[in-house]
Amino acid sequence: MTAQSPVKIRIEKAKKSFIQKSGGAVEAIRELTFDVADNEYVAIVGPTGAGKSVLFDCLLGLKSLDSGRITIDGEPVEKFIRKKGRIARIFQEDRLLPWLTATDNVALGLQIQGVPEAERRERAREWLRAVGLGPFTEALPSEMSGGMRQRTNIARAFATGPEIILLDEAFSALDEITAMRLRSDFRALARRQKMTFLIVTHAIDEAIYLGTRILVFGAPARLVHEVAVPEGASENQAEVDRIRAEIRHWISVSGRDASTAA
Amino acid sequence: MSDIAVAAPAPSRLRRGAVRVLKAVAPFAVLALAWQTASLFFPPILFPSLGDIAKNILAILTTWDMLSQGLITFARMLFAVMLSLVIGVPIGLAMGLWRGADDFLRPIIKFIMGVPALNWVIIVVIWFSNVELRIAFVLVMLCVPVTVFCVYDGVRSIDRKLTDMVLSFGASRAQYIRLLLWPFVKSFAFTATKLNIGNAVRTVIVAELVGAPFGIGRELDLAKNVFDMAMVLAWTLIMVAVAIMMTHGVEALERFVLRWRGDHHDRA
Repeated sequence: MTAQSPVKIRIEKAKKSFIQKSGGAVEAIRELTFDVADNEYVAIVGPTGAGKSVLFDCLLGLKSLDSGRITIDGEPVEKFIRKKGRIARIFQEDRLLPWLTATDNVALGLQIQGVPEAERRERAREWLRAVGLGPFTEALPSEMSGGMRQRTNIARAFATGPEIILLDEAFSALDEITAMRLRSDFRALARRQKMTFLIVTHAIDEAIYLGTRILVFGAPARLVHEVAVPEGASENQAEVDRIRAEIRHWISVSGRDASTAA
Repeated sequence: MSDIAVAAPAPSRLRRGAVRVLKAVAPFAVLALAWQTASLFFPPILFPSLGDIAKNILAILTTWDMLSQGLITFARMLFAVMLSLVIGVPIGLAMGLWRGADDFLRPIIKFIMGVPALNWVIIVVIWFSNVELRIAFVLVMLCVPVTVFCVYDGVRSIDRKLTDMVLSFGASRAQYIRLLLWPFVKSFAFTATKLNIGNAVRTVIVAELVGAPFGIGRELDLAKNVFDMAMVLAWTLIMVAVAIMMTHGVEALERFVLRWRGDHHDRA
């Protein structure tokens, strides 16, 4: 599906380790290499501790690699993120600032970008309406349900007009009905905005629903296998079962590798 | 035996309020009664009657010469508490944000904290001739460390996840401080202010007794010289009332500034 699309994100031989207080090193990312095409939706599945969140930190420039490189649109990630708001992240927890209203929380990224107050509040309200929170623009996080807070979190990510969105287990803390609705809303918004997104998830069905390609990671983060998800596969139960079985197989293989290595 | 219990009707709001007031007043009423009883058996120099104390309070509140002494002390306390915020908040922020600042400043702040109030009073009497400078210096030296450590604790207790969220939008250091750190640390600054009101009330009189010709400390000194216990107690009660009012004022401001927190007492 992405044969003709230009490469948006390129990760080449990325390595990252952390030194523990005890002095030992923990490997988070090992020789990781993969590309993400423009407007592609990539889901990453893998065991806990596979360095997926560390990879997102590196993509946001919050952490630097020990070796290897990450380029976005052909330029080093550090240069790409110099213009604020080009990458947004949706976290597992809503991470809303409790003293700000929904509007001000959504406007936070725009405020950091330096957008004037009237404009950023208007854009924030538009995005709140887009995620179904039109009547709650002045609500505080403490006055909202978990689902509403996560919708605000999603609106905050979209409001900055990012080219790339990183979803870090964004729906895993919600009940299944709310998560299902939010996944659907998110997919619709992402398609409308024509953006690239990467989602880290432990839910294989979520990966099949949201991703156009699924990467199976081992621990530490390395690419074990990848599966293309054909258009409309999530509506075809036989196709879902086939992809699910394939991913489960590779997750178990990567787990055996990890235990052997250990 | 039935498992079904008949729920007692909830007490009315008015009744709950009355019970709360009664609980707050009862200990003081008992204390006042005991004092009044003691005043019948002991000379006024030890236990003046409640009536005498009330007369003195009235005299203080209606005589400008005396009232102005109280206002001077109040203004000194207010100034010192505010100044300790102005000085202590940036130091606490710096210590919380930069390890180098923490390593350098912590021993100094701890040292200052270890100096007794009376020692400061003696030091400033030798150092400064200006009365207001003496009192402000003593109060600030006692209040600033409290502010510093409260703000420091606030910075250190900030949720790392919120920090990551703000930084993931590309916030600069200044934006991080303005948008996340300061709003979060505000509640700790309020706590410091409330603690410092108590500090200031306890210390200002000592400073005035030794180093100032005006203020409640001076009035207490005069009352002490003529063994006027009723006047000493009148000033004491006024000081306590002022401290309580100042704390309530800060709490009201805190509720307004931090109104997003809601009323914590409702949670129970």
